[in-house]
Amino acid sequence: MSLIDDLKALGANTDEALERFMGNASLYERMLGKLTAAVESNQVMPCFESGDYQGALEKAHTLKGVTGNLSITPLYKAYSDAVSLLREDKPDEAKAAVEKILSVQEEFISCIEKNK
Amino acid sequence: MRNTILIVDDMEINRAILAEGFKDEYHILEAENGQEAIDILNVNEDIAAVLLDIMMPVMDGLDVLREMNSNGIIFRIPVFIITASDSEKTLMDAYNLGAVDIISKPFMMNFLKCRIGSVIELYRHRNELEEIIDEQVKTLNSINHSMIETLASVIEFRDCESGEHVKRISGITEVLMTAVSEMFPEYYTTRVEIEKITMASILHDVGKIAIPDGILNKPGRLTNEEFEIMKQHTTKGCEILASMPSGILDKEVYNYSYDICRHHHERYDGRGYPDGLKGDDISICAQVVAIADVYDALTSPRVYKAAFEHEKAVDMIFNGECGIFNPKVLEAFKSSMDKIKR
Repeated sequence: MSLIDDLKALGANTDEALERFMGNASLYERMLGKLTAAVESNQVMPCFESGDYQGALEKAHTLKGVTGNLSITPLYKAYSDAVSLLREDKPDEAKAAVEKILSVQEEFISCIEKNK
Repeated sequence: MRNTILIVDDMEINRAILAEGFKDEYHILEAENGQEAIDILNVNEDIAAVLLDIMMPVMDGLDVLREMNSNGIIFRIPVFIITASDSEKTLMDAYNLGAVDIISKPFMMNFLKCRIGSVIELYRHRNELEEIIDEQVKTLNSINHSMIETLASVIEFRDCESGEHVKRISGITEVLMTAVSEMFPEYYTTRVEIEKITMASILHDVGKIAIPDGILNKPGRLTNEEFEIMKQHTTKGCEILASMPSGILDKEVYNYSYDICRHHHERYDGRGYPDGLKGDDISICAQVVAIADVYDALTSPRVYKAAFEHEKAVDMIFNGECGIFNPKVLEAFKSSMDKIKR
């Protein structure tokens, strides 16, 4: 199974992403390879824990854009919810939305790393 | 033709997707933050559109828009905001700062290409039209200028002149106005205004059309009565200008022409005509045209006299034989003698 098939099995909308990448699967895979670094440099949880909700908003916003463009749908939905909830001044609910998908995020990342 | 798309986003993934979508039709430049984008915009003439993220380190998207407003680039280059989901206020700010469209991530590439492509086409078309209009305005101005010059020359033919007089007067006016403006801060005049004054000077004697031939071309000295009629060419000139359909002359050129027509025979000591204005109650442009007119009259042959040599004419002007002039205008006249000398 290829990386793209694996991600599809995990719930990514890879068909939509490939359309966005103009059918260029190798570019899509290359950009997926950069997701790990993007997630690592935009850790949302430490911000929640230290009460830095503006930082949490900025990082969740960045990851929403990236996961959206890569069509990692479950992550995209969670970060979208977190952004909306933070804007509505509901940091606890936003934190819960992110916490809930951390294990899914791990699965996506290990799948991507395994295929490198 | 502008053929480059500038992609501004701090995340490489986002830039790569956009670059992939547009790379076949456009040259692509990328910037990681707002400051890099501004640096690129400042040196690159080829940018057809900017795809701009809002939230970025160093300098964010709204600041990029502000900078593009302050240097005017926003009016030539369309900016598309590509956003994950910024607050409504931020997006309204972006629109108000001149962004043409806001596109949400994740976007569908084909729609994005259509939307951006059609706006680029629109801007290209608009820029082309602006160039055409600029050309046409130049042509119109030049035709307008020629018409006014022709009108003034026609009048001069009655005066047994060849039409060269008006050209010389406007030439001397330009040189002298420039010198006066540079030498004396109280008379500072912008380049654009000097051009308008130069054009206005062409019409200084338009009122001569209303003066009978017998007086205008009389070989001998005018009687007092005749001179009184001759003096009317100043006020008649203003009447002619006032009767011209509006729009033939630029408003400011009209105002300068009116002033010059009426006051180019005033004297600095208050003994001129028609209003007996004194000193700087006479506008600087009328003072300049007055001295240009006297110099040209002295160095040209007339029905009642031969032409004087340049040196003789200058002596006569400085000795006060041909009227009293503002010492500062005389100084400017002296310093620009080489350019004025016939």
